[in-house]
Order: sequence, then C-alpha cells, then structure tokens
Amino acid sequence: MLHDYALLIVTGLLWGGVYLLMAEGLNLIYGVMKVVNLAHGDFIVAGGLVAFSLFAAYHLSPIVAFPVAALLLFAVGLAVQSGILERLAARGGNAELRTLLATFGLSYIVSNLALLLWGGQVQSLPFLQSSIAIGDLPIPENLLVCSIVACLLAGAVHFWLTKTVSGKALRATSQSELGAASCGLNIRMIRIVSFAMGSAMAGAAGALTIPLIPFQASSGSYLTVQAFTVIALGGLGNYVGAVLAAATLGLAEAFASFFLGSNAAAAVVYLLFIAVLIFRPQGLLGKAGRV
Amino acid sequence: MKRMRGVELMAFAAVLAVAVAIAFNGSGYAVQVLTSTAIFIVLACGWNIISGLTGYVSFGQVAFFGLGAYLAAGLIVNLHVPWYAAAALAGLGAAVVAAPLGAIMLRLQGIFFALGMFGLARIGQIAATSMGATGGAMGESVPTTGNALETTLTILGLACGAVLLTHLLMGSRLGLQLMAVRDDEAAAKGAGVHADAVKVAAFCISGCLAGLAGALYVWNIAYVDPTSAFNGTIELQTILMVLVGGIGSTWGPVIGAILISLLGQVLWARFPMQEQIILGAITILVVIVAPGGLVSIVNRFGWLQRRPVWSPPPAPGVPPGTRPPLGAAFGKGRNARLRGEHLRKQFGGVVAVGDVNLTTEEGSILAIIGPNGAGKSTLFDLLSGFARPTEGKVYFGDRELTGIKPHIVARSGIARTFQTSRVFPSLTVWETVLLASSSLNRSRRVAAAETARILSQVGLLDQWASLPERLSPGQQRLLEIARALALHPRVLLLDEAMAGMTPQEIGRVHAVLAEVVRQGCSIVAIEHVLPAIAPLASRVQVLDFGKTIAEGPPALVFRDPDVVEAYLGVGEQAAVDAGI
Repeated sequence: MLHDYALLIVTGLLWGGVYLLMAEGLNLIYGVMKVVNLAHGDFIVAGGLVAFSLFAAYHLSPIVAFPVAALLLFAVGLAVQSGILERLAARGGNAELRTLLATFGLSYIVSNLALLLWGGQVQSLPFLQSSIAIGDLPIPENLLVCSIVACLLAGAVHFWLTKTVSGKALRATSQSELGAASCGLNIRMIRIVSFAMGSAMAGAAGALTIPLIPFQASSGSYLTVQAFTVIALGGLGNYVGAVLAAATLGLAEAFASFFLGSNAAAAVVYLLFIAVLIFRPQGLLGKAGRV
Repeated sequence: MKRMRGVELMAFAAVLAVAVAIAFNGSGYAVQVLTSTAIFIVLACGWNIISGLTGYVSFGQVAFFGLGAYLAAGLIVNLHVPWYAAAALAGLGAAVVAAPLGAIMLRLQGIFFALGMFGLARIGQIAATSMGATGGAMGESVPTTGNALETTLTILGLACGAVLLTHLLMGSRLGLQLMAVRDDEAAAKGAGVHADAVKVAAFCISGCLAGLAGALYVWNIAYVDPTSAFNGTIELQTILMVLVGGIGSTWGPVIGAILISLLGQVLWARFPMQEQIILGAITILVVIVAPGGLVSIVNRFGWLQRRPVWSPPPAPGVPPGTRPPLGAAFGKGRNARLRGEHLRKQFGGVVAVGDVNLTTEEGSILAIIGPNGAGKSTLFDLLSGFARPTEGKVYFGDRELTGIKPHIVARSGIARTFQTSRVFPSLTVWETVLLASSSLNRSRRVAAAETARILSQVGLLDQWASLPERLSPGQQRLLEIARALALHPRVLLLDEAMAGMTPQEIGRVHAVLAEVVRQGCSIVAIEHVLPAIAPLASRVQVLDFGKTIAEGPPALVFRDPDVVEAYLGVGEQAAVDAGI
C-alpha cells in the first residue's frame, strides 16, 4: 500500500511537469493580454498530432519532433494574434468578452481542421515503452523523459522572462501597457510575439504529451480546462504559483484515477477547477481580489 | 415610433404565419427544420437572458439543456408522466437547480463564470454517461406522442412564449435592474438594486428556458444520450445565433436562430465536414465586424430599437398623494444621524482610514476635504456598505449599519455617488433615475412620477431618452446626483460630485442641494475644489493619512495650521494670513 502511494506521488509529480508546460503558454498569454485563449487545448492537440504524423512518416521521436510542432504553432499564433485578436482590441469596448468569444470560435475551427486532417480516431505514438526502477518504484520511461523535457522548457521560458531584456519587456507590458509603451516598447509586437510564444509552448506540450496519453481531434476543450485550472490555481499570471498548481493537479488526477477510475478523474479535474474558481479565485499564492 | 412598432409586429406575425403554414403543409424535412429552429429559439432566448441582458457570458448553457433532456426522459420512461407535464417539470427542475447553482457560480465574473459553466456542462455529461438507469453512454429511446403536428405546434408555441418572455422582461423592472448590473454592478447596488438576487433570478429564467428546450429536443427525436444532450456544437450554435442576431436585444435571438438554422441546413447538406469550421469562422467575423449583431445594424435606421422601460415619462408635477416624505423607510420624525465611530480600514499593511469619527447633522452639509490618498473615498465605502470596516461601527439613527449590504443601506435612506463617473452606458437618463426610484418598491405610477419630478428638478427631463454618451461630463454628474436623490435619501454622500462641471451646472447643483437640505436631508460632500462645496457647508472635516486633523466651521478650519501644512506645506502660514 505504501508502495502504491509512493508510486502515485512520483507519477503525479511527473504529470505535473507536463501540465506545467501546457499551462505556462496560457499563463504567458493571459499575463500579457489578460485574455484566455480558449483554443489553447486545441493547439496542444494540434502539436501532438503533428508529432504523431512526423513519427508515422519519418519515425521521428517526439524529442526531435517537438521543436517542429512548436515552430508550426508559433506561426499559427502569429497569424491568429495579428489577423484576428489585434483587430478586436483595436475596436475597443468589451474587448475581453469579444476576444473570449473569438477564441471560442477559433477553438471550433482548429479542432475541426484537426478532425479533417487526422480523422476522429484516437492517436498515440510508441516512445520508450519500458519502465525504469527508481528505488523499487517502476517509473515509465516516457513519462520521466517527457516530464523532464517539459520542465526544462518551462524553466527556459521562465529564465527568458526574468533574465533577458526582451523577456523583461514582455513582463513590463503585462504589468502596464501604457507604461511599457511610454518606455518606447512596441507593445503590439510584444502582444503578437507573446501569443505566438504561448502557442508554441502549447505545440511543444502536445508533442511531449501524445506519447503519454492518446489524443483525438476533440480532446482540446478538456486540455484547455486542465491548463486553465493550473493557472487559475496558481494565480493568473503567477509563474511560481503555476508550478505548485501543476503538481497539485498531477497528484489529484493520479490519486483520483487510481481510486475512482479514469472517468471520475476527468470529473475531478472539472470539480477542482470550479472549486478553485469559487474558493480560491486569487490562486494558491496570489493576492486577494485578483478576479 | 408607434408605426415602427406596428411594422415589427407585422413582420413577426408574417414569420409566424409562414411557420404555421409549414407545420401544416410542409414536407417532413421542412417540418424538421422548423422544429429544430423553434427549439433553438427557446435556447437562444435563454442564453440571451443570462449572457446578453445580465452580462454573464456562459459557455455551459447546455448543462441545463442536458439536465432538461434527462429530466424529461427520466420522468417519461420511469414514471410514465405525460409529455406536457414532463416538459413543464423539466423546465421547472432546471430553474430549481439553477437557483443554488447561480448563487455560487454568479460570484464568478467574466472568463471565470464562462469557463466554470463549461466545466459544469462537462460534469453533467460525465454524470449522464455513468448513470446506468438512463442507458449510460449509449443513451436510450423515449416514447413520444405519435402526432407530429401536435409536437411541431407545441414547440412553435413555446418558442413564441420564449420571445414574449424576453420582450416582457426587457420592459420590466427586473429587466432594467439586470441591464444596470451588466453595465456597472457597483453602481447598481448603490442605486438600491439587490444585484445578487436579480442575477440569480435571471440565471433561473435562463436555465428554465434551456431545460425546456432540452425536453423539447427529446420530444422531437424520441431519444436521449449524453453526447447530444450536452453537445458542444449546440452551445456554439446557440451563442453564434445570439451574436449574429444581436446580443442583449429582444429580437436578436429569433433573427439569429432562423438565419443560422437555415445556414446550418445548407452547410450540413453541402459541407458536412466543414460545417463547424465555417460556423467558428462566422463567430470570429461577427465579433470583429458587428459585435452588436444584425439588430445593432438595423438600429441605425431606427428599426427594432429597444424602448426605454416604463416610458415615456409622465408630465412633471406632483400627483396628489404620491409624494412620500424624505427617508420613507425610517419615518420623518426619527433621528436620522449617520455616525461613524472609530472607523478603521486596512488593506494589507496599508491603513487607508485609521480611527475616524464622523457625525452628520440633519439639514446641514458636512464637507470632507483632504489631499489625495487621505482616505476620503474609503471612508464613504465604509459608510455606504461597499467595504466593511476593519474596526469601528456605523450607525444610522439607532440602527447599526456595520456590515449591511450596500443595496440595503441605499434603500434605507443613505444614497451615494462615486468618485469616478459611474453612469450606465446602455441605460437612458430616464431609466437611470427610474432604476433607483423603483428599487424602493414603489408602484409603477409613483416611481415614474418621482423620476419625472427629479429629472425636471436637475434640468435633465428634456434629455430623458438620451444615453449617457450624449451628455456632457457635467450632465453625467448631474445624472448621478439625480439617481442618488431618487432614493429619497436622508443622508446624501457626494464623492467629488461636482468635478468637471461648468459654473452654471455647479449653480444648479447648489440650488438642488439647498432644497434637499431645507427638507431635512444631511449631506456629506468630498470635494477637491474648495469653492465647489465650501459656500454651503456648515462644517468641514479635514482628513490626512487616514486621520481627522481638523474639524469645525469652515472659517476656522481653513486657518488651522495643520490643515495649511497638509495642503500647502510648512511655512506658508504667512501667505494664508495675507489672504493669498
């Protein structure tokens, strides 16, 4: 029994690493634009399915494929922000709500395009299918590798945001657009780049997740909620909080699916999500009154 | 205007006549399209009430649709309840479930509410999938009445009912309160609106319509299963319909439902695989190009415009026996002093207000002055129930007001304005004042007469049908004062109410204030510009860093060294003495 718990904790934490990468992209976008991209989960699915196709055609491992998926989604993000979302902000009045509705429409476009391109069946790809023993715990190798890569990526983006000039420009924009603009920053360009970066992270997350859980074209909305749960739990725009929140979600899901079955685990995510919104809207670490 | 209404009614009658003709003579396919359109009208009207009228956009309206579908199916299959009763109970059941759910969910705002509802719909779907009694993931068939004509006509009738309900709601006190909450929740509370209650009411009505639509859906296809009952595509289509037609309008959901249903049929026949991509693209297009939908476009030509609630105003003047004494809630002779005792408010480590005492005198004006950040507006929040003091108590006469909700404070005779202008962008001048006047639970006739009287008093009656964007900044401030006066306050809290007014407007406000003071109302006024209030004030209280540093008659206070220091810095006393 103790052994079971230890295994659940370790796999839960490793899943947390994957969720972290899924959520950081959304966090980046929220931080800068104060909007949630409802197509984020569909971007993750698209990234995963790109990795699937690269494997099917060239036997590329997801470790090689994820930069490709990230790059593709970066381009999609550029197009979406400059072509659609910038036009909304420019016309003022209810911009937040309208952006939400626009990304709601976008999510249907992306998921149904994925349906057209890859069909409706559940896809996965084989990658490091054995387990390695850490102590006496059998840890799936693919989970271990994908989680570590995901954490490294999330860490790299965090480093970029906090330690480089361009990253600081982005954070400045997220804290005050007006202030950033008066320092001479091109905030339109910063918004476009951050949306593209956020989308690229979704693509990378998808490529690193598809070896672990099979995707289908319609999985996107579930992943959006999962990613949003992490950033809401961590405190919107709070990067440190997101790490804690991702670990919490990973653990909650691991325990729920062990004790209650996978169907109930899905319900647990939604319940956790609603509970967070109601009881802890400021997130685990955030200040009160953020909503 | 009247003739326009006639044309609108005739257009509606014509559409209805076509629908009835199809129901009787149309092909099976045409009848099916008609029925599903009518169901969508019910669903779209429901979504419009919570998302358009109340401003809480939901991505989980199918939660109630699915609930209604399963309730109806369960009642028919297991308890053999007749169809009409099952549909009615499904609608009722959804409304009953919506009440506690709304009380929780409506505490969330914007994206949080939208996604929270989405999560609820998914939970509903998972629950329906795991329920053995209703066939689990595969669903089950539900016996329906054999008569297709009866089904179609019933569904059509309910769609008309949903439209009528929206129309009545938009012209009612509840509708007015919902629009005010949508525009500015805090200002609505300040006008005496029980925002939490009216939001939950809207959520229940909206959920009821969605539940009814779900039951009708099962009636129509004689089958229920989790994937179609909690279908995300239905959500997308419903939202798209309301957006295309015009969110927040009476006719938008109908127009949108008809257009998108027909479009959906064409797309389904020609591009079944691309249908949702096209619908998604149209959503984005509408949001960018015409966020107000078709109704907002034809509004420019004067068609389908919303008529202000309870309009036109009656002629001003005081109808006999309709004018209640000031502060009707408390009775005239009683002590109506507002007292704050040892009030303290802390935000984290910042002490905004620290140990402030304040007492109003009936029939006099107390001016509160102080530099920026002195805690003046926070003090008002404490007095009017918008913030709870960390320490200290608020009394109104003998009654303790500490921790009482703002709308109750407002209704009991303490009205306030806000530091920054907070008018309701989509309410007319008439409706803005009527909102406050009608929140005192007066009859329609009395509330309308009162509103007309106050508007003529502040000189805005000829602008009654204007939206605030058409008013000058000074007139917007006047409108806010009028809104506060409509509450029949015994204490009026004015927060820099005269900022941005022309000298003529300030003169008008002075005259109005002098009149209410003469009637026994007491006024507490925060002002930055001393001449704005000083001529009228009988006492002045000066705040600095959250503490009272001086109080007394204006002539004395303005010579107090502490006051001079707070305003002008040390060493300027000579300048004051010299009268500069």
